[in-house]
Amino acid sequence: MTVPTVDAPAATGRPPATQGEHQPRPNPLREGLRLERMAEPCTMVICGATGDLTERKLAPALYNTLLGGFLPPEFTVVGFARRDMGDEAFRGHLLDGINKHSRNRPAKPAIWESFARGIEYHRGDFDDPAAWVELAKRLERIDRDRGTAGNRLFYLAVPPSLYPEIVSQLDRAGLSASGTHRRTGPKRGWTRVIVEKPFGYDLESARTLNRVIADVFDEDQVYRIDHYLGKETVQNLAVFRFGNGLFEPIWNRRYIDSVQITVAETVGVEGRGDFYDSTGALRDIVQNHALQLLAMFAIEPPVEFAAEDLRDEKLKVLRGVKPMTPADVAANVIRAQYVSGWVEGERISSYRDAPEVAPDSQTETLVALKLGIDSWRWAGVPFYIRTGKTLPSRVTEIAVFFKKAPLALFTRAGVPQIDDNILAIRVQPDEGILLRFGAKVPGQGLQIRNVNMDFRYGSSFAVDSPDAYETLILDAMIGDASLFTRDDEVERAWEILQPILDAWGSGTGGPLHFYAAGTWGPPAADELLERDGRAWRRP
Amino acid sequence: MTGPEGRAAHEEQAVHRRLMRFGEAESLATPMWEERDTTVRAVAGHLSSLWDSPAPAEDADGPVFTEKGLPHARASVLNLIVTVVDGAAADRVVQTLLGLGVRHPSRAVVLVPEQGGAADEPLDARISTHCHDATGGGDRICYEEVVLTVRGEAASHLNGIVAPLLIHDLPTHVWWPGDPPFNDAVFDQLLEMGDRLIVDTADFGDLLTGLRRLANLRRHSGVGDLTWERLAWWQELTAQFFDAPRFRRYLPNLSRLRIQYAVPTAPGALVRVAQEDVTPGVAAPMAQALLYAGWIATRLGWKRYRTLEALGESGFRLRLEGRHEMVDLQVEPIATDAVRPGELLSVRVRSLGETGAAEFIIDRDGEDAMVATNADGMTALLRRVSMQAPGESELLSAQLTVDRADRVYEDALRAAAILLASAREAAA
Repeated sequence: MTVPTVDAPAATGRPPATQGEHQPRPNPLREGLRLERMAEPCTMVICGATGDLTERKLAPALYNTLLGGFLPPEFTVVGFARRDMGDEAFRGHLLDGINKHSRNRPAKPAIWESFARGIEYHRGDFDDPAAWVELAKRLERIDRDRGTAGNRLFYLAVPPSLYPEIVSQLDRAGLSASGTHRRTGPKRGWTRVIVEKPFGYDLESARTLNRVIADVFDEDQVYRIDHYLGKETVQNLAVFRFGNGLFEPIWNRRYIDSVQITVAETVGVEGRGDFYDSTGALRDIVQNHALQLLAMFAIEPPVEFAAEDLRDEKLKVLRGVKPMTPADVAANVIRAQYVSGWVEGERISSYRDAPEVAPDSQTETLVALKLGIDSWRWAGVPFYIRTGKTLPSRVTEIAVFFKKAPLALFTRAGVPQIDDNILAIRVQPDEGILLRFGAKVPGQGLQIRNVNMDFRYGSSFAVDSPDAYETLILDAMIGDASLFTRDDEVERAWEILQPILDAWGSGTGGPLHFYAAGTWGPPAADELLERDGRAWRRP
Repeated sequence: MTGPEGRAAHEEQAVHRRLMRFGEAESLATPMWEERDTTVRAVAGHLSSLWDSPAPAEDADGPVFTEKGLPHARASVLNLIVTVVDGAAADRVVQTLLGLGVRHPSRAVVLVPEQGGAADEPLDARISTHCHDATGGGDRICYEEVVLTVRGEAASHLNGIVAPLLIHDLPTHVWWPGDPPFNDAVFDQLLEMGDRLIVDTADFGDLLTGLRRLANLRRHSGVGDLTWERLAWWQELTAQFFDAPRFRRYLPNLSRLRIQYAVPTAPGALVRVAQEDVTPGVAAPMAQALLYAGWIATRLGWKRYRTLEALGESGFRLRLEGRHEMVDLQVEPIATDAVRPGELLSVRVRSLGETGAAEFIIDRDGEDAMVATNADGMTALLRRVSMQAPGESELLSAQLTVDRADRVYEDALRAAAILLASAREAAA
């Protein structure tokens, strides 16, 4: 009798995206464990570590990832910012963020103290080369002392205007090299950089930004965060379509009449007036979130469920969206700005009265537009996108309207035309999927009424879904870029929107409408659908 | 309500309310439906009527409506059949299930067979439903539980009673708390009905026989074990030692594994458990340590070599043959009442050989653990991690999410039986 032995077990989890990195034998003890995704030892350098994003999102995400057991013991954090503070003060800053914003709070003292030993603060100006040289030395020391094996993740938690400076300083200090970097050659460990949105202000600035980054980093080192892609439902969209045999056969122009994508917020510009007035809804939401939802919704089945395949397919969808002519813009894009009204029982003053907003601002707080995708699957199917601030409810959803039954069998029995069947995929809140279909009302005679079949993730799997930042930071550490946007996707999204920006800028893109806060937008937004014989869904 | 059933119902509601304080939000429990001397058809009828009407009027907020004004739809993911030996065990199980409802919308059928009794009144039934606000967004997780006391000859034909009460086409788990009667006809019947069997090897009366029988069971979706689930965090911490490539090279040269586990200081000593947990009987406290050893041994390809110290009061020691080194395995009980009997207290893994000496340590310290790697001549990476022992509800809940055979567990189970058999042999 002998203890059964195992053959060299296969590694679980996905291999890092970067090819050619030294791959030692997989850890045989990992096989079959619940935590299949384990990040390699690494140091995360947060540039702009004293800012709001670090406190509100990054610190809680790191702490929850730690509690889940997803962080390797060697994991080290270096905060890099201008403010004068020491390691202890910086740790306190992170701890405050956890205690205020984490879904697990407060932090457990013993766990936190142990984790905090691996947190350092590096004071310096981003434009001071000496600060970067010092940072490089610090990182080497950390590699030696804590076994982080030369793996580094730079998180740019700073305004995009600082990206060029930081990226070139990283290069000069020799910190951009990675295991397979085409220019700097082999180096021990990997280097990755996480970039926050917005990715540019228009097509040209996006191209410039991509070029600046590409001068220093290979594309497979760059992780552009669009936190919508980290949400469970967006990931489930692929499972829903490609993991079920039922839906994919009807996912095309033969059965789908139209698609509505709604990203509605109830809040106004609260405290972000300066940023928002120079941005607007088109840049803030449509360029990234809405077009990414559209792309994930409409993709062809990828060859493999892997980063490059997924992103290739998304790019294909976006390339099928043809940029508009100025006449198209005037006809198919509605922009509007909110004036005072009531939302959720609270009075909201007009957008132009908000702090740091120009009194004659022409910035849109709502966009409604109609797009088409020129592909065999989607030709002729209109995609309506709307997004806005101070709308009646906070909801993000994709609603699919199916074509009516070809024959109105029941009209002769006195039943009016039956409504469309709708499949609504709700991204937030109450993530789930709803199917609306007609059913006979029980009793004599023939009466048909719409019923909803409502599936909610919350009522089937009551587990705490990880926050999008937890998922995404961990993915970046593991080297899985599936949920990050690639440079060509970003540029294509801007190519789609640039004609709209141009038309608005030149005054040919139709007027700026106004809508009262707490309504679903101006009448013009409704007319956009009415002229096609359709109506917005009330989500 | 009076009488024992009434009391049970009252207690159940009380437990439920207490549990809800731990939860995120209010919950709703419909009044219990109880009937003595009833029929399976009546029980099935009541179950299907439960979801015909919206939530009852006791709910202060009124029923939950979706956008079209319809009562909230219901989601279910599984059936759970539980068999217990008596009413007291049923109460314990019901409390565990209450903690479970928050995560698994399901139907649980708890069977209490009573041999003997009048044959003309074979069935008492008790049905209650529990809904929890899941997200605060109006989502509700509902589960219902049916407790059936079956008397007379019907108690030998439980499958016929359970079958009409299951929700169609959902995975069915059979949870057998306590010592499962392998080879018993009723046990086999119920096993046939389920896709997956869940046991707790720490409850086995005869651990060696139990491990062997369990290893030989062939279930479609495998076997779940709450004791294995208790090991999950220990396994994770152990695997983390070797995730870093620079420490992975020590793996083939491990030469010593020492596992310490808790046994009570005196038989019947009070055991501190989580407030919502009910103390499960621990018949075989060594089960967890054995499964851990079996897991490492099978993952690393260790083979049995000889017995150094036969199983006694201070545990046992075996010599195993590793890929490169001989391995000294020591399993040692430590008398303590600080943790639940059977829980691991400490794991130390030592490596010798050409790569140098290294030691990997996990020491439990209350609700935390100290984890350390001593390698390359320095203490690297000393850290504290959370080490909260999960309650039975949590363990069961985690096992219910598994829907396929776990090969790693099956390997560990077979190895645990072999290690225990070796430990019982006289030292060579």
